[in-house]
Amino acid sequence: MRDKTLLVAQRELVENIRTKAFWIGILLFPVLIVVMMVAPTLLERAKSARQYAVVDESGWLLEQIDQRAALPDLEKVFAQALERKRAGSSRFDELPEALRQATGQIEAGLAMVEEQAGGDWDESERAEAESTIIEGFASVVAGFAGTQGGQLREMLPPEAIAPLEQLREEIRRWWLELPAEEAVEYGSGVSKSRYVRVEVPGEGEEQIAELNRRVREGELFAYIVIGEDPINGEGDSRYVSSNLTDDDLQVWFSRLASDVLRAERLEEKQIDAQTADWIQAPFDMRQAKLGTSGEEEDVATQDRVRQWAPVAFVYLLWISVFTVAQMLLTNTVEEKSNKLMEVLLSSVSPLQLMMGKIVGIAATGLAMLGSWAVFFYLATKFVPRLTGIDSSLDLSIIVTDPKYMASFFVYFLLGYLFYAALLVGIGSVCDSLKEAQNLMTPIMLLLFVPLASMVPIGQDPNGLLARVMSYIPPFTPFVMMNRAAGPPSTLEYVLTSALLLASVGVVMWAAAKVFRIGVLMTGKPPKLREILRWIRAPIGVVPERRAEQMR
Amino acid sequence: MTAAGDAALVLEGVTKRFGKQTAVDGISMRVPSGSIWGFLGPNGAGKTTTIRMVMSIIYPDEGEIRILGKSNAESIKDRLGYLPEEKGLYKKMTAGEIVAYFGRLKGMAAGDAKRRARELLEQYGLGDAVDKKCEALSKGMGQKVQILGTVIHDPDLVILDEPFSGLDPVNAEVMKDLILQMKRDGRTVIFSTHIMLQAEQLCDGLTLINHGRKVLDGTMAEVRGSEERGILLDYDGDSQKLHSLDGIERINDSGKQAEIFPASGVDPQHLLQQIVQRVHVRRFDLREPSLHEIFVRAVGGRADGVAVRGVQGQAVLVAESGDSPDA
Repeated sequence: MRDKTLLVAQRELVENIRTKAFWIGILLFPVLIVVMMVAPTLLERAKSARQYAVVDESGWLLEQIDQRAALPDLEKVFAQALERKRAGSSRFDELPEALRQATGQIEAGLAMVEEQAGGDWDESERAEAESTIIEGFASVVAGFAGTQGGQLREMLPPEAIAPLEQLREEIRRWWLELPAEEAVEYGSGVSKSRYVRVEVPGEGEEQIAELNRRVREGELFAYIVIGEDPINGEGDSRYVSSNLTDDDLQVWFSRLASDVLRAERLEEKQIDAQTADWIQAPFDMRQAKLGTSGEEEDVATQDRVRQWAPVAFVYLLWISVFTVAQMLLTNTVEEKSNKLMEVLLSSVSPLQLMMGKIVGIAATGLAMLGSWAVFFYLATKFVPRLTGIDSSLDLSIIVTDPKYMASFFVYFLLGYLFYAALLVGIGSVCDSLKEAQNLMTPIMLLLFVPLASMVPIGQDPNGLLARVMSYIPPFTPFVMMNRAAGPPSTLEYVLTSALLLASVGVVMWAAAKVFRIGVLMTGKPPKLREILRWIRAPIGVVPERRAEQMR
Repeated sequence: MTAAGDAALVLEGVTKRFGKQTAVDGISMRVPSGSIWGFLGPNGAGKTTTIRMVMSIIYPDEGEIRILGKSNAESIKDRLGYLPEEKGLYKKMTAGEIVAYFGRLKGMAAGDAKRRARELLEQYGLGDAVDKKCEALSKGMGQKVQILGTVIHDPDLVILDEPFSGLDPVNAEVMKDLILQMKRDGRTVIFSTHIMLQAEQLCDGLTLINHGRKVLDGTMAEVRGSEERGILLDYDGDSQKLHSLDGIERINDSGKQAEIFPASGVDPQHLLQQIVQRVHVRRFDLREPSLHEIFVRAVGGRADGVAVRGVQGQAVLVAESGDSPDA
């Protein structure tokens, strides 16, 4: 009995694996993942640098801005160098000597601070200290002391900073002389690679005329005029471009200028930078989530990934359940229109045939999903290292977290079984795919509900909507997957799964009854009422039970 | 295997209703073991429904079926072979694979099934097709592949629903040989057809049904002996002239050959004289009626026009292409 079911299943699996669609499905996903991970960085790299010019009527602001601009860039450069050093990447050795030394000092400084603090930092505390030290080092090197420099001096003793002073000039010169197109190698998204300032010869009206011509002809993206006295807002400061929709350059430049002006103004009024910061400090709230143990936990980026990963999983789950169940439908209708059913039914029972198909297609789906999971894991682990492109988030934790992967596969199976039973029933009464499409409509509508509720449930995974929908079997797999970040209580997992399992049983039973009549039927598909009558009627009208009594 | 003289299949008052319509109405029949049995009837007579019940694909509402001594085909599916009227193959599987797959579904071991499938395909002239996908086979080849799939596991009882439809004369001959070979091996073959000539040539006995009811059954000698004799005429000339003969009850005319039934009390010699004057006679044979005539007589009286036309159309085709058994 079971042998024949497996035989049918095996045939389905082998036939599906032989199709091109299967392999396209298997390969397309990894390609998509890699593209999604690498494309943004590549696009950014490919984006041509914006050329701009500045006319400085104040005579001093531009120089300050140049220094100030190096600060965030150097932060990025240091951060990336530190990451490479920690990862033991060979690319660290390619960095200039001075930068490598500075990185070593940052690491040493960080260790020093941690030791002072008692050494029991959590992830977020360490991240905070790290960014402060990196900012501080960058500000020292950039020659723009600001607040960060002050903080650094508070955190570290002078002897920890002194060696940096010697490297400072060297790093600065290296950075300023580095061609813009190479800058991106040392830090992704540095402004140096995005905005390139060019000198435009000339004086006064003549120079402005030349600038206007260049902007008009597209040689320059924009030019900026700094007024005579920017500190007091006097003079005609302006940003001139033929493209006003893309204001990246304007925003970037104006922020730098504001920072410089702020520092100048503070100095003029003899206000301490830190005092000013203190005055301006916003009301800051730490975001914390209540852990399962009832304790507050800090929210790390990882948590955010975890919070929203379920949504991605629901999408994937939905697509998988839908495509794999659809595969079963197509396959059943095809088999029926190929007039194979009767031959098969002379050897296997309708139930064996149906189960064989369901199992065979499930195996196909699992093979595909399994390969995706493996690839996803490998991609998140190795693509960043291989390409040197850092993914902003460590996604591999999702793959290894059983809450996601295990429940994904379990809910895939349960959801698939539920919808497979519905679709195999539909497939069995239809002679053509077109007829099947018509009968599919209500099921499609049903399937769209969990898709529509995905975002609301993602935001409030333990809310009323989420809880109620968890108990509606057609939605259970998607909604429970959606809630994985919550996560739902064990009791909810147990109850909803039990309910889902029971309804899978009922739907299977009904599908089996429809299937055994439907597969032998030709002509117009039956009305819903007729199908319901089949489900209610005992099997074969003279059911198998009687045959057993006779034996 | 059941001993000779036993019945391979017995039906007692088998009835099947679909809603208000009675598809099969109290059919009883008995097929002796080791025989070739024809199961005849016009389209829509209930042949396929009856066969499906025999195969336990559907279940009768009333009556009993005994197949190879069992009350139900389910436990002995592996000893049965069934070629349904609607014949299809998995398009993407090769001929070798699909024949082997059918064998495996009947409980053969993977290796045996594969080897036997290759043997059979080679034996029946499909050696080149073993590794060809089914979608690349011609219709006739596909049907042969399917028939081989039906018999790969050496079944004790084979039920063939319209095995000859769609086969060219050469392949029909191969099919005939295959059926006869199975009989020689002591297996029972039941086949349905509405090509009377093949039934006439092959069958040891037959059951004729119409409108779900049994009309006739018995051995070939019984069936034919019970009917009045007729004249088989081969001729050249204007067929219209034959239709105006005096003293005939009925004429089944195929253009070059006609079967003529004299009205009661009319001397066949008298008819011959008339015929000779009207057309050129190549053969004049007084004999038992053909199965075709028996069929038309049994069915025609009660059948609606559509069914009879269908049957006659088929019969005419056969009469033109096949040889007469008496020739």
